[in-house]
Amino acid sequence: MTNSEVGKKLLSQKFYDEMKKLEPRYPTQVALLLPALHAAQDEHGWLSPEVMDEVAAYIGIHSAQVREVASFYTMYNLKPVGKYHLKVCTNVACCLRGAEELVEHVEKKYGIHCGETTHDRKFTLMEEECLGACGTAPAMMLNNDYHENLSVEQLDKILDGLE
Amino acid sequence: MSKCIIDGREIEFTPGQNLIEVAKKAGVEIPVFCYHPGLTVVAQCRMCYVEVEKMPKLQTACSTPATEGMVVKTKSDKVLQAQKATMEFLLVNHPLDCPICDKAGECDLQDNSFKYGNAYSRYTEERRTYVDLDMGPVIKKNMNRCIHCTRCIRFGTEVAGIHEMVAIQRGNNTEITTIDGRPLETEYAGNYADICPTGSLTLKDFRFKKRVWFLKQTATTCEGCSRGCNMFLHQEGNIIHRCTPKENMEVNKYWLCDEGRFNFRYVNDEQRVKEPMMTTGSNGLQPNDWASALDVARSVLTGRQVLVLVGSDLTQEEAKLLQDFIPKSLPRASVFHFGTPGICSAADDAPADKILKRKSKTSNLHGLEKLGYKGFSEIPAGTEAVLVFRGGRAVLPDLKGLFTVGVGVFKKNEAEKLVAVLPGASFAEKEGTIVNFEGREQKIHRSIVPVGKSKLLPEILMMWANSKGANGTA
Amino acid sequence: MTQANETLFIQHFKESSRPLSYYLEKMNGYTAAKKALVMPQDDIINEVKKSNLRGRGGAGFPTGMKWGFIPKQSAKPKYLVCNADESEPGTFKDRDLMRYTPHLLIEGMMIGGYAIGANTGYIYIRGEYTREAKLLNEAIQEAYNNGYLGKNIMGTGFNFDLTVHRGAGAYICGEETALLNSLEGKRGEPRVKPPFPAQAGAFGGPTIVNNVETLTSVPFIINHGGEWFSKLGKLEKSGGSRLFGISGHVKKPGLYELPAGGATLRQLIYDYAGGILGDKKLKAVIPGGSSAPVLTADEIDVVLDIEPMMKIGTMLGSAAIMVVSEDYCVVKLLTRISKFYAHESCGQCTPCREGTRWMEDILHRIEHGHGHEQDIQMLLDISNNINGRTLCALGDAAAGPVMSFVKKFRADFEAHIRGGKCPNA
Repeated sequence: MTNSEVGKKLLSQKFYDEMKKLEPRYPTQVALLLPALHAAQDEHGWLSPEVMDEVAAYIGIHSAQVREVASFYTMYNLKPVGKYHLKVCTNVACCLRGAEELVEHVEKKYGIHCGETTHDRKFTLMEEECLGACGTAPAMMLNNDYHENLSVEQLDKILDGLE
Repeated sequence: MSKCIIDGREIEFTPGQNLIEVAKKAGVEIPVFCYHPGLTVVAQCRMCYVEVEKMPKLQTACSTPATEGMVVKTKSDKVLQAQKATMEFLLVNHPLDCPICDKAGECDLQDNSFKYGNAYSRYTEERRTYVDLDMGPVIKKNMNRCIHCTRCIRFGTEVAGIHEMVAIQRGNNTEITTIDGRPLETEYAGNYADICPTGSLTLKDFRFKKRVWFLKQTATTCEGCSRGCNMFLHQEGNIIHRCTPKENMEVNKYWLCDEGRFNFRYVNDEQRVKEPMMTTGSNGLQPNDWASALDVARSVLTGRQVLVLVGSDLTQEEAKLLQDFIPKSLPRASVFHFGTPGICSAADDAPADKILKRKSKTSNLHGLEKLGYKGFSEIPAGTEAVLVFRGGRAVLPDLKGLFTVGVGVFKKNEAEKLVAVLPGASFAEKEGTIVNFEGREQKIHRSIVPVGKSKLLPEILMMWANSKGANGTA
Repeated sequence: MTQANETLFIQHFKESSRPLSYYLEKMNGYTAAKKALVMPQDDIINEVKKSNLRGRGGAGFPTGMKWGFIPKQSAKPKYLVCNADESEPGTFKDRDLMRYTPHLLIEGMMIGGYAIGANTGYIYIRGEYTREAKLLNEAIQEAYNNGYLGKNIMGTGFNFDLTVHRGAGAYICGEETALLNSLEGKRGEPRVKPPFPAQAGAFGGPTIVNNVETLTSVPFIINHGGEWFSKLGKLEKSGGSRLFGISGHVKKPGLYELPAGGATLRQLIYDYAGGILGDKKLKAVIPGGSSAPVLTADEIDVVLDIEPMMKIGTMLGSAAIMVVSEDYCVVKLLTRISKFYAHESCGQCTPCREGTRWMEDILHRIEHGHGHEQDIQMLLDISNNINGRTLCALGDAAAGPVMSFVKKFRADFEAHIRGGKCPNA
């Protein structure tokens, strides 16, 4: 039995309330899928199979349909991530302004490779494609926030200040 | 009628048709992978290129509607070069599995590569591979062979009506799967193997059984239900190895349900009774010769109040023969048709799902009723013995321990309840007519000769009529 | 040179410009809408046609003509969708429009919706722009609260609902039919055309998809007239002023608002953006987002507009200019660009799915000193086999850079292959 069948939901009432408010804005229930996955991920930090099954049940579609959508987009984490998810852009403009050095610096600083999470689950480091901050390159996302005009020193200041 | 010009020939078309359909009807070959006439058009494989005058880029024939006066070339240098390129791209990651792949011999990728591709590879990088998860009892998945045509995904949502076969990830890493190794839920899973243009989706039932070029196929009609889907039975050495759908736009389009597709298994099954059986003394049911078994049958039935059950899996010809034979041989007999529990008459028959299946699990229910047969519901009072005629599908009702003679196809464990078995022909071993739920007459054709000592019904009845009893009475 | 107080957009690019009050006082807020919502629809479309406004997302299609494709009658509801997916590498203009002047977008969408007969609008914004989406939603709420959205807008009887729909990380969703699929809750995979979105788009209804900057230009067109807007541009077929984004090895990277066709590439790099970082020599310019074929230092006297760029074999695209100076290895750059397209390919069609990864693998080998002699021809063959052969333009976008870099900087690639490493290293 899934959690939804047992009556124990993994997603909060806030999630369902938010979804209810969005429903009248779309002509189909399926159109809620991307917003629902964002909201579900905001609650748990990642999308587990059980959470995705619950989203499927809410929208009224087959579980597989949720998986095919969730796995297509890079922002949906299908594995747990660290408390601080670092996504450093290494596309053209940021590369031209030294993004690779930033990535190497973080790798050395925390002893992880790109794509990995530190043992204490504090940091996950990823390379990212163009973030749309090319005029203020190099740039990165730290969870949902943009940090731009980065240098190694700037980066250290930001990271060292995180609890 | 509108006209266009394909490879210099004037071809008529109906407005709304895509070039791929127009070409097919005109006998012009255009290679395809993702296009399937029973599924929506996606124009993804980029194989069906054609050159259209006044259009600078090559067009995909599957997604280009024909227009009046359109001039189309299907074999120009530009087209052939583009198709060579597509084949090269498809074979970049496709493993050279032909020697061990079931699909060899009927593989679209093989055929198109031979006709349109290069005989060599320029690829020197590492190939992309996947880890295969199970998909259930019907389909074997080999994702490395997949060319991402997405026919299977579209079949799942558009025909089977269940969104279970999906593409996950994206780009070159796209994987087509049911999630987490879950088995396919649809009862139409066998069609995945038919539509897959490579050996990525194959039938577990047929795996490694027989190379397809050894098989001879016979067109016939399914006996699984009262729809009568058209199909091919493939045999070699008088053994049926597999069954595939035959296109009939009015009955089953391009599809078969799994129950119908795998129904043939009982025909060559080791559990099928293939020689006459009779009870003698305390030894129970034992094999014997035809004459002796017939004797036992006649002795059980003659002079008694007999219930005759005629399976609605028999053909019109067999049913008519029995209408003639029974009143002469067993004048006091009451005769009914039987087949599916709960379905006593044609009026009880109804769709069993939204796709193909019907509630009547025999193929000729409607035919027998047309001939005047009535449906069995309960054993008439005073019945002393039962005579059953059936093929491989009609389900035996509870006969309350009455002496029963069976003529037709029986499994060994069913036969144990009978006093005599006269082995008859299955649907794969005879010619005949059956009538489906629409009143449509369709033919079954024999693929193999009756196995073992089984005989066709006319011969059995003739032997019955000609034989003398043990005491010389007719 | 456009004076600061003559610009349409850039003068307002500051935090204090965002509130509705600023928009009403300092930007003629919603006067265009008030005017438009009582005009006949065809008059609005004609005004936009006269303005010679070209789509600012990259394709440069005349906006008025696009709006004219919507059928007058429709059994299904019509939709106006704003493409705020902004993922073309080098592009960062729509972000500022949305976070500093959101009401410009709202007003533009409302006018566009009215003109085509749509009562529902969606802003499809890339998922990474979390803050911008929040700010847009706040502005939309302001608009609803003050009667600029919702039912009976400004008493005109016109209803218009606007919803922000966040993407989730897929460059391909900038392609209009992939965007529509993503809006509908599916994988962001482009559709077969026909049917075109104007016939069957979002949820099966006639739909127009426009870029953010295109829509924010509309209020100006209505307020000042199409002819006025057209004359702002320096070339006949291209109206208005537009935002050019320049990044990479320049001293003053950022956004510059110039008339369409109002400067050459050389002028933008040296006169506006301060010239090359460290006063180095220019090596290459990627002029219209990474999908635009690269230009050498000899080719920068081209006028920055759609037709002149096409004429020299590249494109203005999203007006996203990335500047590369002499120190940087172009083989490394192309390898990174090809990695991008392989990563963003949706995987539907054969040439893109297989070809982009193949090119990435070859370039990776060349960059790391394991190239073979035949690799260069192989790259040209593969890119030729992708170009013009794919379901959507991502294939062309992936092929363009490979073809142009390899042709124009062939010596660099050969040096990597023969020397086994980067000659710059």
